[in-house]
Amino acid sequence: MDISYIFVISLMLALCSSQAESKQKSGRGRGSMWWGIAKVGEPNNMSPITTGIMYMDPAIHSTLRRKQRRLVRDNPGVLGALVKGANLAISECQHQFRNRRWNCSTRNFLRGKNLFGKIVDRGCRETGFIYAITSAAVTHSIARACSEGTIESCTCDYSHQSRSPQANHQAGSVAGVRDWEWGGCSDNIGFGFKFSREFVDTGERGRNLREKMNLHNNEAGRAHVQAEMRQECKCHGMSGSCTVKTCWMRLANFRVIGDNLKARFDGATRVQVSNSLRQSANAVAVVSPNAAMGSNSNGGSNGLLQSAVSVYEEEERMLNDHMPDLLLDNTHLSSKIHHPNMPSPNSLPMAGARSRNGRRQGRKHNRYHFQLNPHNPEHKPPGSKDIVYLEPSPSFCEKNLRHGILGTHGRQCNETSLGVDGCGLMCCGRGYRRDEVIVVERCACTFHWCCEVKCKLCRTKKVIYTCL
Amino acid sequence: MSGTILENLSGRKLSILVGSLLLCQVLCFLLGGLYAPVPAGHTNVLGSLCRENHARQNDTSFFLYSRGEGSCTQVTREEVEQDSMKLANQIVHVFQMPLPRDSRVLDYSRWQQNLIGVLQVEFGYDSSSELREPPKELQLTIDMRLAYRNKGDPDHAWKLYAHGVEHRYLDCVAAHIGSSETLYTCDMIPLFELGALHHSFYLLNLRFPLDTPKQMNLQFGHMHDLTLTAIHQNGGFTHVWLMLKTLLFPFVVGIMVWFWRRVHLLQRSPALLEYMLLYLGGALTFLNLPLEYLSLTIEMPYMLLLSDIRQGIFYAMLLSFWLVFAGEHMLIQDSHNKSTIRSRYWKHLSAVVVGCISLFVFDISERGVQLRNPFYSIWTTPLGAKVAMSFILLAGVSAAVYFLFLCYMISKVFKNIGDKRTSLPSMSQARRLHYEGLIYRFKFLMLATLLCAALTVTGFIMGQMAEGQWKWNDDVEIQLTSAFLTGVYGMWNIYIFALLILYAPSHKQWPTMHHSDETTQSNENIVASAASEEIEFSNLPSDSNPSEISSLTSFTRKVAFE
Repeated sequence: MDISYIFVISLMLALCSSQAESKQKSGRGRGSMWWGIAKVGEPNNMSPITTGIMYMDPAIHSTLRRKQRRLVRDNPGVLGALVKGANLAISECQHQFRNRRWNCSTRNFLRGKNLFGKIVDRGCRETGFIYAITSAAVTHSIARACSEGTIESCTCDYSHQSRSPQANHQAGSVAGVRDWEWGGCSDNIGFGFKFSREFVDTGERGRNLREKMNLHNNEAGRAHVQAEMRQECKCHGMSGSCTVKTCWMRLANFRVIGDNLKARFDGATRVQVSNSLRQSANAVAVVSPNAAMGSNSNGGSNGLLQSAVSVYEEEERMLNDHMPDLLLDNTHLSSKIHHPNMPSPNSLPMAGARSRNGRRQGRKHNRYHFQLNPHNPEHKPPGSKDIVYLEPSPSFCEKNLRHGILGTHGRQCNETSLGVDGCGLMCCGRGYRRDEVIVVERCACTFHWCCEVKCKLCRTKKVIYTCL
Repeated sequence: MSGTILENLSGRKLSILVGSLLLCQVLCFLLGGLYAPVPAGHTNVLGSLCRENHARQNDTSFFLYSRGEGSCTQVTREEVEQDSMKLANQIVHVFQMPLPRDSRVLDYSRWQQNLIGVLQVEFGYDSSSELREPPKELQLTIDMRLAYRNKGDPDHAWKLYAHGVEHRYLDCVAAHIGSSETLYTCDMIPLFELGALHHSFYLLNLRFPLDTPKQMNLQFGHMHDLTLTAIHQNGGFTHVWLMLKTLLFPFVVGIMVWFWRRVHLLQRSPALLEYMLLYLGGALTFLNLPLEYLSLTIEMPYMLLLSDIRQGIFYAMLLSFWLVFAGEHMLIQDSHNKSTIRSRYWKHLSAVVVGCISLFVFDISERGVQLRNPFYSIWTTPLGAKVAMSFILLAGVSAAVYFLFLCYMISKVFKNIGDKRTSLPSMSQARRLHYEGLIYRFKFLMLATLLCAALTVTGFIMGQMAEGQWKWNDDVEIQLTSAFLTGVYGMWNIYIFALLILYAPSHKQWPTMHHSDETTQSNENIVASAASEEIEFSNLPSDSNPSEISSLTSFTRKVAFE
C-alpha cells in the first residue's frame, strides 16, 4: 500500500513539474528582460541621455524587475551605466559574430519581447554567450562609471579594522568622509562585480537547469572581466624608491574580454541533466555526483545537500571562489589572504539590504554553488570561465520567426574565405550576388593645432558579396 | 674619570634598559601595524571626454569639468568611434579628483599631504590607416592643465595650478590584434607630483594636439581609455606618523642635552666619538622635527624634497658614525693627536659623501625641478632617465664600497679582540672576567647594530613580498607596510637613544681610583681591581692619549702596542 502511495505521489509531482516547465517555456530567459534597457532613450535619440528622461521611459518598467528597479532607483547614475553596458555588450557581440551566420542581431526587437529575439528561449551556445557577455559588460561598465564619477553611490569600502575610534561612533555620513580621510577608498572594480551579481542575476534562482546555465554563464562573464584585470604598481618612497609602493587593479579593454569570451564560445561545454537526480521532485537535477572534480572543490557536497552546509562556510567559500580579495583590497594585491572584513556582495546601497540577516544571505549565495555535468561524460566538467549550453544550435540558415532566427539572406560574405564568413558556408549553398560599390572616404588628412583638420575625399571601388 | 655607562652598568640594569627599549620597539611596530592604515591611498579616475571650446582654447583660466554645475558637454565613446576622424583635436580629456563615493562628494584633506599622478594610456590603430604598429620611441605630446578649487567655492571657480606642454615616451604592447583595429596598452607614465595637497579638489585637463607641420602626435591612432591614478598619503597614516614624531622628538632632545652635559662635566675636551654621537642625535632631531604640522596651514610644495633631504642627512650621519665607531676601536695608534674627521676619516667617509651627493643631485633634478613644474619628471626622456640612472648607480656603487669597507674594518676590530682573547688566560682571574665582559658588551652593541640593519632589510623585503596586510587571526590584521615604516623609524630612534645613553661618560668612580697617579686614565679603573698587574698597564704611551672614550678602546690600543 505504502509503495503504491509513494508511487502515486511521485507521479503527481513529476507531472506537476513538467507542467510547470512547459508553462515557463515562454519565459525561460526570465532574468534577461533587462537587456531591453539598451534601447532606453533611443527612439527620441536623446544624447546625452539625461537621467530624468530615462526614468520616465516606460521601457524601464517593462524591462526591469522590481528588484532591478529598486537598485536603479537607489543608485543614481547607474541607469546610464547600465544602458551603456547593454549597448557595449550588443556591439561587442555583433563585432565578435560579424562573420558568423548568427550575427547577434537585435533588429527585430519589439517592446516587451526579448532584445535578442526568441533565440534566447533555447539553451544553445549563442544564448550562453549572450548571457556571459551582458553580465561581463555590466560589470565592466559599472566599474568604469564609478571611476568616471558618474555613479555617486559607488562604495568606499576599504575595511578599516583599526579606524580611528571617533569614526566608529559617528553617524554614517561623517564616518564615510572620515574613512576616506583616514585610509582612502578601495578600487571601484569590486562595486562593479557586486552590482552585476545583484542586478544581472535577479530572477535566476538556479532552480532548474536552464537557470543554472544562465547563472553559470553570467558568472563566467564576470570571471573573464576579473581574469583580465592587471595589477599596476607605483613606487613613491624616499626619492621615489620602493619603500612605499601603491598597487591597484586596471580593467582591460572590453574588446579583449570579448575575444576571450568568443574563444570560450568556440569551446563551449554542453551540459545535461544528470540521470540520477532527474527523479527528484523539483527537478533541480544539474548536480553531478562527483562535484568535487570541478574548480569549486566543495568536497562532494552537491546542490541538494547545500542547505546542510553551514551558512557561514558557504558564504566564505563563495567569496573565495568568485570574488577574490584582490578586487576589494585597497592598495595591495594579496590574492592568497582571505579578508574577513570583506563586505558581502549584498552590501550595495539599497533600501533594506542591510536589514537582511545572515541566513538569507547564505541562501542567496548557495545558488552559485553547483557543478554542471558535461553531456559527454568523457569531457571535462566546465570550469568557472567556460560557457555552457544545453542543446545544439540551429543552423541559422533560413528565416524562422517562430524560433527568432533571421536567416542569412542579404548578409555580406567573403568570397575568398573558406571559414564561416566565406560565401559557401554563410549563404548555406544558396549562392551569392556580386556588387561593385564606390566608397567615398576621407583620406590624406592634415592636422593643425589648433583646431583644423583638412582631408581629401578618396573614392575607392569595393566589391561586395551578398547572400541570396 | 671612568669610561662609558655601558661598561659600568650592571648586567641587570642593562637588561632592564634593553628590555624596555625593545618594548618601545614592539609598540612602534604595532602602532603602524594595527592602528595605522596603509601609507598611501589611490583614486583611479577614468578620463571623461569633453568637447573642446575652441574659442577659449588658449585661455588658461578656462577649464572643462565633468561634474557639478556648468559641466561640459560630454562626448560618448560611441560618438568618437563613429566619427571618421575620431574627433581629432576636438576632445579634452577631463579628470576630476577625488571621485564621489557613498553618495557623497569627497574632498582632499590637508592631512593627505601629497598627490602623485600617473597616467595609463590605451590607444588603437585602425586597419584603414597606414600605421599599424607604434614606432620604437613613441613620443606623446600632452597639453596639461592642472586646476584646483577649494571647499565652498562655486563649482566653476577652478583656478590654474600649473600648465605645461610636456613630452612623454610610451612603451606599449598589443592587447588585441583584430581585422578592424589593433589595440595597444601602454605602461604608465608619470604625470605630476604635488608636494603639497593644499586644496580640496583638483582638475586635470589633457589635450593631445595633432599637428602635421610640427609632426605632433601623428604616430598615434586614436585614444581609447585614459586612466589617471592619483596617489595620496593616507590621512590616518599622517596622523600616526606625526604622533610618533611628536612623541620621539622631546625624548631625543632631552637625552641629547643630558649627554652633552655629562660630556662637559669631564675635565677633558669631548672625544670624536662623542661629537659623532651628538651630530647623530642632531640629525635625528632634525628628522623628528614634526614640520608636517605646518603643512596643515601653509602650502609647502617643497615638503617631499625636504623629507628626502632630512632622511638623507640622517642616514649619511648614521653611516659615518658606524665608520668612525669602528675606526675608533681600531687600536692603531699612529699618532698621539686627538683624532678628528679631517685628520683620520676623510678617506673612509668619501664613499658616503659621494653617495649622498649623487642622490642629492638626483633628488634636486627630480623633485627640485618639480617645485617649478609639477609635470616634470627626469624619467620621461631617454636622456634624463640615463642621467638619473647613472646618479643612482653611482650612489649604489658608493654604498657597496662603503659596506665592503665597513665590513673590513669591523672584521679587523674583531680580529684584534680575538688576538687579545688568546692572551686572556695568562691574566689574572679578575682582569680576565672584566675584559671578557667588555668584549661581550662591545659585541653586544655590534650585534644590536647588525640586528637593526637586518630588521630594516627583512622588514623591507617582507613589506614588498606580502604586499599589504598580514593576517594574525580573524580579528587582527597587520598592515605590513605601515608597520615596517613606523617600526624602522622607531627602531633607529631607539637605537640612537640607546647609544646616547650607553656611550655617555659614566660618573661612577671605581673604588681604587685614588690609587692611580695618572687621573684621567680609564684603563686604570678597569685594571684597578687587578692590582698585581698594575705596573704592566701604567706606563704605556697610549695612556697619555686624552681622546680615549672608553676603557675598551684603551684596552685594545694597549693590545696593539704589545
